[in-house]
Amino acid sequence: MEDKLDSKIKILIWIGVVTLLTVCFAAVPLFTDNLSFMFYMMLWIIMASAFNFVAGLAGYMPFGYVAFYGVGAYATGILYKTFGLPIPVALIGAGLMGVAVGLLLAPTLRLRGVYFGIVSLALAMAAKLTIALMPAEITGGSLGLILSSANNPLAAYYAMFIVLLMLLACGTWLSMSRTGTALRAIRDDQEAAAVVGVNVVGTRMKAWISAALFPALVGGVEAWYTNAIDLESSFNLLITAKSIVYAMAGGLGYLVGPILGSGLLYGVDQLIWRQFPTLNLLLLGVIIVVLMLMLPRGIVGAFAQRFSKLRKYIP
Amino acid sequence: MNELLLQGLVNGIILGTIYALIGLSLNVIFGVLRVVNFAHGEFIILGAYGAYFAQQWMGLSPFVAMPLIFAVFGATGYGLYFLLIRRLAKSDDPEHASLLVMFGVAIALGALMLIFFEADSRSLAYSIDPPFFMFGSIIVPTSKLLALGIIVVITAILAWFLYRTLPGKALRAIIMNRDAVQIVGVDLERMSAMTFGLGLGLAGITGVLVALIFPSFSPFIGQDYTLIGFIVIVLGGLGHPVGAVVGGIIFGLTEQTALVYTSGTTATLLGFLLLIGVILVRPTGLFGREALK
Repeated sequence: MEDKLDSKIKILIWIGVVTLLTVCFAAVPLFTDNLSFMFYMMLWIIMASAFNFVAGLAGYMPFGYVAFYGVGAYATGILYKTFGLPIPVALIGAGLMGVAVGLLLAPTLRLRGVYFGIVSLALAMAAKLTIALMPAEITGGSLGLILSSANNPLAAYYAMFIVLLMLLACGTWLSMSRTGTALRAIRDDQEAAAVVGVNVVGTRMKAWISAALFPALVGGVEAWYTNAIDLESSFNLLITAKSIVYAMAGGLGYLVGPILGSGLLYGVDQLIWRQFPTLNLLLLGVIIVVLMLMLPRGIVGAFAQRFSKLRKYIP
Repeated sequence: MNELLLQGLVNGIILGTIYALIGLSLNVIFGVLRVVNFAHGEFIILGAYGAYFAQQWMGLSPFVAMPLIFAVFGATGYGLYFLLIRRLAKSDDPEHASLLVMFGVAIALGALMLIFFEADSRSLAYSIDPPFFMFGSIIVPTSKLLALGIIVVITAILAWFLYRTLPGKALRAIIMNRDAVQIVGVDLERMSAMTFGLGLGLAGITGVLVALIFPSFSPFIGQDYTLIGFIVIVLGGLGHPVGAVVGGIIFGLTEQTALVYTSGTTATLLGFLLLIGVILVRPTGLFGREALK
């Protein structure tokens, strides 16, 4: 009986968070013309949360996470610019490409621990090189693709908002349904989960494909927002780095962790960036080190450890 | 066999030994400490800058600078162990935690180099007489030949250390079984700090060799060397010293022979595909045992 009440409170808190995010981000364009800050805030919330699907819920650390983002950006650019399809269709194409690449890379899920992380990194580099080798008429070569004819920041903002809503829905499904329970069971003890009848491969795949779909969509929408795609920025390892750092700072394994982490650290990042552009990278590195040494479970994780009675209420 | 291919094979073996050295130092660190040093490439580039400034400011030849750099980097590594690595052992998932901490170190170190050394590529200004040797129709630059010699000597010393000396044997024992060595009285703490020092010292030396062989270096390329090191150790098997040497030479040969027939991009891609192929067939790498938990 108490158990049911607990999970009800947890769900209510989560509904509150979702409502707050929805209202907040939906209303921003009504008050300001400077969408950039909030646009990128959504971007990082999505990137960090989707990373959490596979890292926090399934226990894998894909260091080549940026591959999905880059593939999504290029798929959008190529479908729009080279094949002349409308942007919404191109974005759906980007999502499908993300899922396709996720399926292609699924065999690497057999690997565990750092082996998986390193191979994933190598695969991201391989994806980048593959695009570099494609004919310049399709990918724009070293100059990249310019989508200026599609320029519409407001529409792109709301496209990102829709992706955010999809992400929140997906997070709810992955974490609070039977799938979520199964995922946690697999993460903690794969053999035991299999023994009690959890479909290990299938369940893990759901988390993995979700973690491939969202960065691909985000990459596509970001390309639309900035109107520019090139290899160096689309496959920049810092995208992986920031997704990991934001997710971990908040706390892996909790839905609210990456949201809180992105909100705080992206804000700090922007402040530093404006004040000292050259020191930005250095501080990012130092923040990662300090966070890992001082707060390895993230803010939410540390809170849950300190107030263990409240742990069951944290979504 | 045509001459171009032969030239490619020779280049492959020479570069392969450099890659092997990168992999060797990474693997010693991973084997003993379970730390994946994401910042290895940055330390290598720092070593290259060390050789550059030793020459600019003190007029030291790179060969004289090498032991100095080894000592400085070794001491830094010894200190860094107590500052960073030791605390990681207590975390829930030390391997991933170490990967992330060293990722942070890599980003910070790259940024520091960018701030202090600026973004321009540098190259070492030195010349050796004669500049190259001809073996039949195959050209081998003297610098590469010297580097090859140095690497063979370093590897031999390292092998002697690991297999013939007491600290070396203790070190290998830690790789095999961390818990058991403590029972027989090995000071794990000191050995670990020493290993991290050894690994970074070797990275520094690798940097000097990189400055000798490759036309230029800049703060941005550390990541490339880290990636090559990762490929090499995953190919050979994580934590396995011999595996790193074999992995390095296989990767060097693949890359350099591919370079004879195709572009640099395709050659690099082939290197990555080789890694993925090997991993799918033998998930533990050629010499490894424990990738699947």
